[in-house]
Amino acid sequence: MEKFQRGKGNGLTDLITSFWQTYNTLIYTIFVHGMLALSIYITLACGQLSLGNAAFMGIGAYTSALLTMKMNAPFGLSLIAGGMMPAAVALIIGIPTLRLSGVYLAMATLGFGEVVRVAFLNMSITGGSLGLNGVPLKTELWHLVLVIGIFIYFFIRLRDSRFGRILEAINEDEVVASVMGIKTTYFKVWAFTIGAFIAGVAGGLNAHFTFFISPREYGFEPAVDILTFAILGGTRTLWGPLAGSTVLTTLPELFRFLGPYRLAVNGLILLLVVLYLPNGIVSKETFKNIKKIFNGSGCLN
Amino acid sequence: MRLSDKIMILSLIFIFTASVSLAADIKIGVAEALTGPIAKYGVPIKNGFTLAVEEINAAGGINGNKIKLIIEDEQGKKEEAINVFKKFIFRDKVLAIFGPTLSNSAFAADPVANAGRTVVFGTSNTAEGITAIGPYVFRNSVAEADILPRVVSIAKKKLGIKKVAIMYGNDDSFTKSGYDVFKKAVEAENLQVVATETFSKGDIDFSAQITKIKGLNPDAIICSALVEEAANIILQARKLGIPASIHFIGGNGFNSSKLSEIAGKAAEGAISGSPWFLDDTNKKNQSFVKAYRKKFSSDPDQFAAQAYDALYIMAEAIKKVKFTGDLEKDRTSLRDELAKVKNFSGVGGKFSFNENRDAEQKGRVLIVKDKKFTIFSE
Repeated sequence: MEKFQRGKGNGLTDLITSFWQTYNTLIYTIFVHGMLALSIYITLACGQLSLGNAAFMGIGAYTSALLTMKMNAPFGLSLIAGGMMPAAVALIIGIPTLRLSGVYLAMATLGFGEVVRVAFLNMSITGGSLGLNGVPLKTELWHLVLVIGIFIYFFIRLRDSRFGRILEAINEDEVVASVMGIKTTYFKVWAFTIGAFIAGVAGGLNAHFTFFISPREYGFEPAVDILTFAILGGTRTLWGPLAGSTVLTTLPELFRFLGPYRLAVNGLILLLVVLYLPNGIVSKETFKNIKKIFNGSGCLN
Repeated sequence: MRLSDKIMILSLIFIFTASVSLAADIKIGVAEALTGPIAKYGVPIKNGFTLAVEEINAAGGINGNKIKLIIEDEQGKKEEAINVFKKFIFRDKVLAIFGPTLSNSAFAADPVANAGRTVVFGTSNTAEGITAIGPYVFRNSVAEADILPRVVSIAKKKLGIKKVAIMYGNDDSFTKSGYDVFKKAVEAENLQVVATETFSKGDIDFSAQITKIKGLNPDAIICSALVEEAANIILQARKLGIPASIHFIGGNGFNSSKLSEIAGKAAEGAISGSPWFLDDTNKKNQSFVKAYRKKFSSDPDQFAAQAYDALYIMAEAIKKVKFTGDLEKDRTSLRDELAKVKNFSGVGGKFSFNENRDAEQKGRVLIVKDKKFTIFSE
């Protein structure tokens, strides 16, 4: 449980305490959104557009929240279960759907997301549209840092591994990859399942610091949000989605002083990024431009 | 005196006056959904608050202290609601908080306020269990569980209803909890349920459900829906030949002038229950409706009325608080004073908090007559 007492130290610790008290949920959310961005990054890394990650997050959130609430399961266990459950679902639906590609996969996963949302609405164990109230407060900062650290380490190791290279090959040209003897569907299902696991864990962590979950948090809108994290940040490296999710989570809070205009400004910034950095914030152009500026060789592009 | 000295002195005076005038302000946070799909509820609520504050401040404030509202948008999202609440409690150091708009957000954000020992006052949260979050959580929104059973029992008595059909939106927490209450009430009154049909938010065609219900010949149709769907259901039912003698009975969702606007004549005879309605002739309500129309050039709805009343209820309690300058103590004494509010008379009639800090207010059963709600039974 976080402490609400005022800090008794000097001015600086007071300042830090009050900052932390005000913004800790925001910081937690940045971490969770970072994980969600990574969960879609792994499918994008092999050229697949999946819009089912919000649903996977939901499955993970409900699984882990129900485990801690009804069975008194330890937090670590319920988090892992929150990852395994959507991974199992992803395995089952991935085998048929990942034979589809491009826009058809996006449509299939979108449909899957709707199915999951409606299932949450109609099951009695999930509380229907009233949601699950009273999820205990368990998530702490170190959990989030540890979990995202593990995921980032996994992605760094993945980059130069055989699996990573295979995903890249599929991304560059699926036909060529299959001609070279790669079982493309097999590896795509793996990427999809890992993505679902990550989204599920993120959902479990999120459920345990917001006290409450309901089906409307895992519908179409969050699915698009997750995709935007990755697109805005850039999908060539793993740092892109992380940068995208951090920026998109922080901006609305930074612009709060603008009142009703803040969402407009938010949209404007997105527009500018898409116009001038079409490959995302973390992309080759950005580094080139930064280098240019440092070399004094002129303006942007 | 040098110029720099003058500037220094002037700025000191400025800071001094600013801090003095700030000290006399009572800061109250308002967290409502002002953008996004929930804004249609959040904006009238905000309007209700601003209208009440302007009136109070124009009349000299509370014991000479002006009320200052800090209004933030929580978009109807739980994380946003938590962020706004924390900003209010720890950065803006408000005395109390109004909001959030949805019960869903309240389940997420109210525990934050309760742990921060700051009063949170909901004006639109009707779900069960909101005030069970903790002793700092209050609301004046009348829970449907308090009103709907009366609606059902009075309709049964006056209209001689024996069997009913029920329709409800199953993807919305508001309409779903309304259905749960109706179901219990119908069981308690020993009414026979011939059919239970569901629909989703945004549906426009209800002919399948209505045709089925028509074949079963109920004496009345109970409908837990938001106003857009409710109006469409009534309209289509009349078109499909369900006679006007079969009344529609609804919850809070019916209670909007939009019902007659959309459904027109078909809405005649629709029955609902509410603590407040637009054409109520009590003096306070008349002047509230007049002032609201003048300021916002639209009719207030139930949410605006409840927000307006809530601010006056809060003002009642603040009047009795002896300010110590220690925010934590002041917040707690406000909580204690608020819990004691009894027999407040507002635009929605007499109001008291019960021992669970929930609204204790007699809802009235209303019926649409000549496109207006009138009292069916007190």
